[in-house]
Amino acid sequence: MRRTVWVLFVVVLAAACSRSSIDVSAEPDLPELTADAFQGRLEALDRPAVVNVWASWCIPCRSEAPLLKAAHDSYGDEIEFIGVAVQDSQPGAKAFLAEFGLEFDQVFDRSRSIPNSHAGIGTPITFFFAPGGELVRTHNGIIDERGLALGIDELLQSGR
Amino acid sequence: MELTLLWAALTAVVLAWLGTRIWPEGLPDHPVDRLVGAGAVGLLIGRIAAMAVQGTNPWTNPGDVLVVRGGVHTGAATIGAIATFLWSVRGRTDYLDAIAPAALLGLAGWHGGCLWRGACLGSAADVSWAWSEPGSLIARHPVEIYAALALAAAAWAVSALGKRPLLRSGAALALAGAIRLATEPIRLSITGGAWGWYLGAITIGVLSALLGPKVTASLHRTQLESDLTANETSPGGRSDTPR
Repeated sequence: MRRTVWVLFVVVLAAACSRSSIDVSAEPDLPELTADAFQGRLEALDRPAVVNVWASWCIPCRSEAPLLKAAHDSYGDEIEFIGVAVQDSQPGAKAFLAEFGLEFDQVFDRSRSIPNSHAGIGTPITFFFAPGGELVRTHNGIIDERGLALGIDELLQSGR
Repeated sequence: MELTLLWAALTAVVLAWLGTRIWPEGLPDHPVDRLVGAGAVGLLIGRIAAMAVQGTNPWTNPGDVLVVRGGVHTGAATIGAIATFLWSVRGRTDYLDAIAPAALLGLAGWHGGCLWRGACLGSAADVSWAWSEPGSLIARHPVEIYAALALAAAAWAVSALGKRPLLRSGAALALAGAIRLATEPIRLSITGGAWGWYLGAITIGVLSALLGPKVTASLHRTQLESDLTANETSPGGRSDTPR
């Protein structure tokens, strides 16, 4: 029994260490934006926006990435989705995007100035903005399907 | 797992325990331990299945398995929980019937635990009992409360059923699926909900409730025949004179 447990432990450890790397050297770097420039971009939008703050080293971010992809696929025509990679490296961030196939706009914010300017805590964070860049909702931590759907529905209902 | 989820899980455990006190007849030893164990294994299997469906490899991302808020596959979790419970009671299906009302009450506690999580609301509603999110003017159906109340009522209904094999457990599965299916249109969802799994649960539950006695009798007959054959073929297994 003890031997079986050890074998399982070693297998899991080996599997965990053998994460396949994706070659993203040919991909362009994510654009870097200051908090002011980012806010200006939000204010120029004529539709609501969902801004997700993430990092490639953040385990909960990995869990919510497929959900954000599904949300963008469903609501991308009505809502602007923007990702903000924080405290990350360009190769790490690009590999993360390639792994999960996230196709919405992304910006790079090594210093966390964008989430800090909106009093966001930790990583991940999901901000919900009304058209014109007014922050209407902040979800600190991992967001589940219900929470994301609720935030999106609040944005869409408010606009009707 | 974050604290609010733990509170919801604790509510589920307390109500399941209460269920074993209200309907104690025929339960296996340590019924709450077995229910909680089965629920935990089901949750784990459901989470791994959700990761696989989302395209995340559980082997290369073992830490993600613990992030249950990332999604849990309802069907895989249910099958895993029922199979684990059956394994823990050595395949005794009569224990499934005995635990069914308490399991439904525990499930009601899980849904009612939305009160700790601030996660009770569904689609926008124009009814007098609708709630709003803090800071929002949009009233919504408290859909998780509907589900919790319906599941609690289902627990009582199932406990009042007769004791035919698989009747209570089949009815419990069908009712749990039906309640999820009925509340699905007013839930908020990105991926569209697990309609197929709920319909599957209803079908399997109804079939189990209807065909349970026949299936159980057939299993018993097969077991008896197997035992008789084993007796006949084993040395000294059959004798014309009583020993």
